[in-house]
Amino acid sequence: MTVPSSPASAGVPAVRCRSLGVSFGSVRALHRVSLDLAPGRIHALVGQNGAGKTTLAKVLGGLQAPDTGDVHIAGREIPPGDVRAARAAGLAMVHQHFSLPPSFTVAEALELTAARPGGRPLYRRNELHRRWRDDVAEIGGEAVLSTRIRDLPVETRQSLEIVRAMAADARILMLDEPTALLTPAAIDALFERLRRLREDGVTILVVLHKLREVAAVADTVSVLRDGELVLGPNEMSEVSQGRLSDAIVGPASQADRAVGVEAAPGAEQQTLLELARVSSRASAFEPGLGGIDLSVEAGEIVGIAGVEGNGQRSLVSVIAGLNAVTEGSVLLGGTDVTRAPPARRRRRGLRLVPFDRNSEGISRRAPLWLNQSALRLIGRRRRRLPLISLRQYKRQAATEMDQWRVRYDAVTQPAESLSGGNVQRLILSRELAPGLQVLVAAQPTRGLDFSATSFVRRSLRGLRDAGAGVLLVSSDLDELFELSDRVLVIYGGRIVAGFEAPYERRAVGDAMTGARR
Amino acid sequence: MEQILATTLRSAAPLVLVATAGVFAFRAGIFHLGLEGLMITGAFTTVAVAEATGSVELGILAAIGVCMALSAVYWWVIGPLGANVIIAGLGLTSIGLGGTAFALGAIFDRRGSLFTDVVLPRPVSGITSGPGVIVSEHSILVWLTPLIVLAAWVVLRRSRFGLRLAAAGEYPFAARTAGVNPSIMRLQALLIAGALCALGGAELSVGALHNFTENMTNGRGFIAFVAVIFGAWHPIGAAFAGLFFGFADAIGIQSQINITERVPREFVLMIPFVLTIFAVWLGGLWRRRSLEAEAGYAELREPDY
Repeated sequence: MTVPSSPASAGVPAVRCRSLGVSFGSVRALHRVSLDLAPGRIHALVGQNGAGKTTLAKVLGGLQAPDTGDVHIAGREIPPGDVRAARAAGLAMVHQHFSLPPSFTVAEALELTAARPGGRPLYRRNELHRRWRDDVAEIGGEAVLSTRIRDLPVETRQSLEIVRAMAADARILMLDEPTALLTPAAIDALFERLRRLREDGVTILVVLHKLREVAAVADTVSVLRDGELVLGPNEMSEVSQGRLSDAIVGPASQADRAVGVEAAPGAEQQTLLELARVSSRASAFEPGLGGIDLSVEAGEIVGIAGVEGNGQRSLVSVIAGLNAVTEGSVLLGGTDVTRAPPARRRRRGLRLVPFDRNSEGISRRAPLWLNQSALRLIGRRRRRLPLISLRQYKRQAATEMDQWRVRYDAVTQPAESLSGGNVQRLILSRELAPGLQVLVAAQPTRGLDFSATSFVRRSLRGLRDAGAGVLLVSSDLDELFELSDRVLVIYGGRIVAGFEAPYERRAVGDAMTGARR
Repeated sequence: MEQILATTLRSAAPLVLVATAGVFAFRAGIFHLGLEGLMITGAFTTVAVAEATGSVELGILAAIGVCMALSAVYWWVIGPLGANVIIAGLGLTSIGLGGTAFALGAIFDRRGSLFTDVVLPRPVSGITSGPGVIVSEHSILVWLTPLIVLAAWVVLRRSRFGLRLAAAGEYPFAARTAGVNPSIMRLQALLIAGALCALGGAELSVGALHNFTENMTNGRGFIAFVAVIFGAWHPIGAAFAGLFFGFADAIGIQSQINITERVPREFVLMIPFVLTIFAVWLGGLWRRRSLEAEAGYAELREPDY
């Protein structure tokens, strides 16, 4: 249960909560969480997917009313679920999902959150610009004020979220998984920013996934597991890495099964996936592909590195058959599939872990069993009748999901009711089924917790050793270096560089930013 | 020509008022298909109360009250009760069309239409020739319409209320993190829309005419809906779209008078609708803008889990 701790701090804690409890239906998201955060420090909150981190952050920020317990900010009790009261007490929040309306200009977005009752109801454009000029000095100055949110790069959006939070004179800043979307360089810049805020006396609570990041930035660490606070807040110097991992994963964590595929006989040294001078049209978010040459052999993992928005999504879509190719050809196992529909590619052994698991990886409203057996449904097995047995499909889906340790209540519940990490497990349980030849994995570990991440990485290695080919698209350089046999760098829709182990972080980074072409 | 322009203004004013109502609703993320029903309710209530009390001002105030009350009910059905926005909107339209016809019989014991002598004042009248014809014989509401549109623009594009409204429609999560309750914003938008629809209906019955007739809106609420999309959700854009549809209507009316001898009547009657289809196609070119309030709409369809 709760480890009573909290270092003796001068004065009142910046944030104090007592026996918070939140339930969503039958799921217990938070249970008797009590926490004191000392002022002027950087506190990290860690835990597995679904451990309740985001829920805790939302409760503290007033976005979610708790079922039990209370929240005090700087000594004042906050009415449950009152965003304005939490803000008035000096607490600001940077959410996991960006919280600024895409069509707003930067100035409008800042004004939206700063607007408080009593201010003049009308405004003029240049008045807004004058007001916010100083706040955006660090992220591009006045010119950025008339840019629309949707046109901003990811890093700037994140910085803007912090600007917005600090513009309210926040004394306490909460960040919910701020590093999930950022490149390594941007993460460093973010941490530097947090340290500077700490110098100014701001209390920071940051939800993180990676222990490396926790070690890099945090003064204290707290661990949530299954909605309960199992550790902390403890000084970073007091807890060992091992104890932290144990606290996160919990006792007697059962081992995940190793993943095996049936390697096609004689598949050694065969080119499983080949792209020859492939070009495609630009989308709203990304440049199109400009003549990509790429091949994935049997038994290798090819990594694709790149700053987000440089054509990775187009690349994955083109291979999956979701985007049209304007030039060049795509070959799967030596067969030209340039014009083949997605289902035919799937039957040839192409498997896909898409970028956006909620919108592309599952059918949100469809039941779990249907999501799980989607590939079996397009399979071309000879049957006497073109009918399926629902009971058999449901049973098989349940078996598969249990093996991948998807946490669910019933196979008939809609897929959208799963938490992020569980959705990824569901997708993996479907895609990594027998028959796999090539796996295209886009950000397969984004937003996954420690144990799920290592599990996915083990699975990818297992696939390679069994003779499959893997194309790994990731913005996490550590992941790419750890897993890949080769790393290609994509920039502006082209492959601009290729690297082999041992990797030089600096050189890859230069290629990613276009400094080396 | 002067006659066509004069008719354009007269036809456009109710369209523009109701389109402005639609802009408020759309910005809040509501695909408001109840505009027609609110409009006819406004037309009927104005005539009924004006005839009963002898005061057109009281008639309009009553119409605004009734339409806002109906809008509040609509909000309650699509918000707290979670009904489908489109179906509930069409239901509102049916209630308006059917309810006014029923009330006409039940209260006034009439069928078809109800005449009144109590109408809106017409600031300029009696001009029968020259360019002055264009501005002659218009009700005070036609004169006020540009001011109302301008006010709508200020509220939507230059006020903090407008920012909150747009955030609630476009990205409810953003509104929530700013301490704004999107559901309350939707209610406010619908109340404003209700009041504007009442004005549009009143212009139709006691502004341009002297009577209420069953189904007198004749699809104008839906044309206003199209004007909102055509005008890219912008109050000024929607106003010009409404003006355009009013022009199409005027051509239809004028050519009925002038050229029916040579061209079949049915073809002439088609003109406004053909122009509408053309306009909708043209409006598709601004499609990107029209995606903006979709998140708000999605939230109405699929509330939080």
